[in-house]
Amino acid sequence: MFKKILFATTSSPACDNAAKVAFDLELKWDAKLMVFHVLGVPTRGYSSFVTDVRTGETESIDPDYVEWVTEEMKYTYENLLKDSENSTLEAVIGVPHREILRKARKENVDMIIMGAHTRDEDIGATRYRSVVGSTMQKVAKSARCPVIIVSRPCTTCWKLFSNIVICTDFTKASNSAFLWAAKLSKEVNARLHIFHAVDINAGEPGKVSGQSEIEGRINEAKGRIETMYIPELKDFDNYEVGTREGTPYVEILKFAREKQADLIVMAHHTREIDPELALLGSTVEQVVLRSACPVTSVNHPDKVADE
Amino acid sequence: MPEGILCNKQVVDTKEKLNALLADKSGKQYYDEMTRLDVDTEALWATIEKTCKSRLRTWLEICAHCGMCADSCFIYLANKRDPKQVPSYKIQSTLGEIVKRKGKVDNEFMRYVMDTAWAKCTCCNRCATYCPFGIDMGVMFGYVRGLCFSHGFVPWELKIGSGMHRIYKAQMDITTEDWVDTCEWMVEEYEEDWPGLEIPVDKENADIIYTVNAREPKHYPEDLAEAAILFHIAGENWTVPSQGWEETSLAMFAGDWGACKLQVESVYAAMDRLKPKRMVVTECGHAYRATVLEGPYWAGIKSGKTPIESFHYVEWVAEALRTGKLKIDPAKKIKEPVTYQDSCNYIRNGGLGDYAREIMSYIAEDFREMKPCREHNFCCGGGGGLNGIGRYRKERNIGLTVKRDQILATGAKLVVTPCHNCWDAIRDLEEVYKIGIRWSFLKPLLLGMVEVPEHLLPREE
Repeated sequence: MFKKILFATTSSPACDNAAKVAFDLELKWDAKLMVFHVLGVPTRGYSSFVTDVRTGETESIDPDYVEWVTEEMKYTYENLLKDSENSTLEAVIGVPHREILRKARKENVDMIIMGAHTRDEDIGATRYRSVVGSTMQKVAKSARCPVIIVSRPCTTCWKLFSNIVICTDFTKASNSAFLWAAKLSKEVNARLHIFHAVDINAGEPGKVSGQSEIEGRINEAKGRIETMYIPELKDFDNYEVGTREGTPYVEILKFAREKQADLIVMAHHTREIDPELALLGSTVEQVVLRSACPVTSVNHPDKVADE
Repeated sequence: MPEGILCNKQVVDTKEKLNALLADKSGKQYYDEMTRLDVDTEALWATIEKTCKSRLRTWLEICAHCGMCADSCFIYLANKRDPKQVPSYKIQSTLGEIVKRKGKVDNEFMRYVMDTAWAKCTCCNRCATYCPFGIDMGVMFGYVRGLCFSHGFVPWELKIGSGMHRIYKAQMDITTEDWVDTCEWMVEEYEEDWPGLEIPVDKENADIIYTVNAREPKHYPEDLAEAAILFHIAGENWTVPSQGWEETSLAMFAGDWGACKLQVESVYAAMDRLKPKRMVVTECGHAYRATVLEGPYWAGIKSGKTPIESFHYVEWVAEALRTGKLKIDPAKKIKEPVTYQDSCNYIRNGGLGDYAREIMSYIAEDFREMKPCREHNFCCGGGGGLNGIGRYRKERNIGLTVKRDQILATGAKLVVTPCHNCWDAIRDLEEVYKIGIRWSFLKPLLLGMVEVPEHLLPREE
């Protein structure tokens, strides 16, 4: 299921938890792991200067510098590299999200693993360069393959996952997320929790929905899950359906905690992103920043179908 | 040493030469070799006799040393009115001296000329509008740069840049395959949000042929996608050429006239091959100057005009807004105070100031002019290649203070910068001086404001 994995890292402690997952996947799934670091943001006009992603310092770029950064990556991942059998290290210059997407497309990878930028200064730094929005968000929106975001220690090996939560809002992108989650659940024999949260704040602002209306919407959601998703599972019966009402990201997090989820899978809404609000705006961001387990964002059908 | 391994009088026309230069961190060895580079005084004088003709000679001689040009130069102003930064002094002490001494100058002098031609003049041509005789020090320094280049005295980055043009017909190492693939990639990435989006490559007889700055496909391909989306919304019949898509010219900054000619000819060849009605270039200032204003002369086109009518992006935007091809949602207009950075190369030197104002009248509610503005605005501080030269970083940063103070005086926190060099200079001035501003090209601003026709929206199933 994962033959080529791209681990996009800042080469800083922010990605340590993601690194462990990435190297673990490489071994357990016999995958090829590409450890990939974008080291410097270039200017718009002509210049040989770049801004180092980690330090924010202006650096003059030449082959030596790139080599030096690659050496540093070896040192950073020294322990993990000891057991690694099939991994490569690469440092490149560019705008991080752009180069990650370029690499993923070129190598036709099956998944991208990233750390979440939980540190304020990371997000601030990218905004400051007038590159609005975070790298993670832009990669998650545009990547053709699933993007796994790991912000906290993931103690369970993927092969031993027992609970996977798929959150759907019934969009086309959500359908891809469901197919991928179902495939993974079958593969590792985990219980699949198909979940939908009715957003009680959606619709007219300030309007308070009555209980019967909310219940109506919940029943409608259940019905849609029955017709859209259950038939797709065929003979796989290790699943359950959950619905809640409230603010979606809160309900997703609560549900995941209740079910002791090892992984949350969801689609990254393409339409709800207003770049100015995006840093705190979308449900995915909120879930990623607060979730105890890794979160996978799936938006495209490319890497989810059975081979 | 007559010539260095890296620093010499030869042009960079092979990948081997280019890579050797690139591997030299910050041009350390290059500049070291430059201190020992022989000046071929005879060749220098022969070149001057052949090329320094009546206009330049007259300018050198009639300068009355009145000093009217002094206050016109932002570098003079930024350097506490240092008399050595008066444009007239700068040109008299360089080109004037070379002519006076009939080319008999030494290595040290040539390095002084180089430092003056690239760090003390951005070729913004502002002084020419204030000289009572119309002497244009910018034009003269352009000429001086050519002399310097042909004798090996050129900043390391620009030697590399001009080499890129010779090898790749672009300022960066982008092959035809890379470029075409990037066009396909951007369509893949955006077509879901914009059904029917296309970046047609090599389509014949289109209304518009669109050309770009190589840094867009290389590092910022979103810019290309944004251009495509705006053409898509406006319903334009457009194309990009597979070859001849690069409009910029670091060769012009370097004074490598041979490479300048090669570069623009590649663009003109695309025009001839695809027969579009007109050309539109991305939001880049020097690209417009190189390909539209100067290029026809480099290519020896008698009319002095490009093979087809050529437009800067601001001309296309102004037209699209005027004719209603693009409609701004009034609720989404820029509400906060906003100012506009006039790029020297297409405003002062291209006369497009009105188009910029027209655009601002459609998109901004509180547009504030810098003082001075339009044709009289100052250079951003990074023009003429200065942004990209490590050797002159300190001098560049001093020069930025003039633009900083102009922006501060407007009270605006947002600066519209439809030029890659201006964009960079203003970003850098924020990083150096931290005045709390934002800056943007037009495309992302427009995309946030235009009304999208119903039939172009994606259908939710």
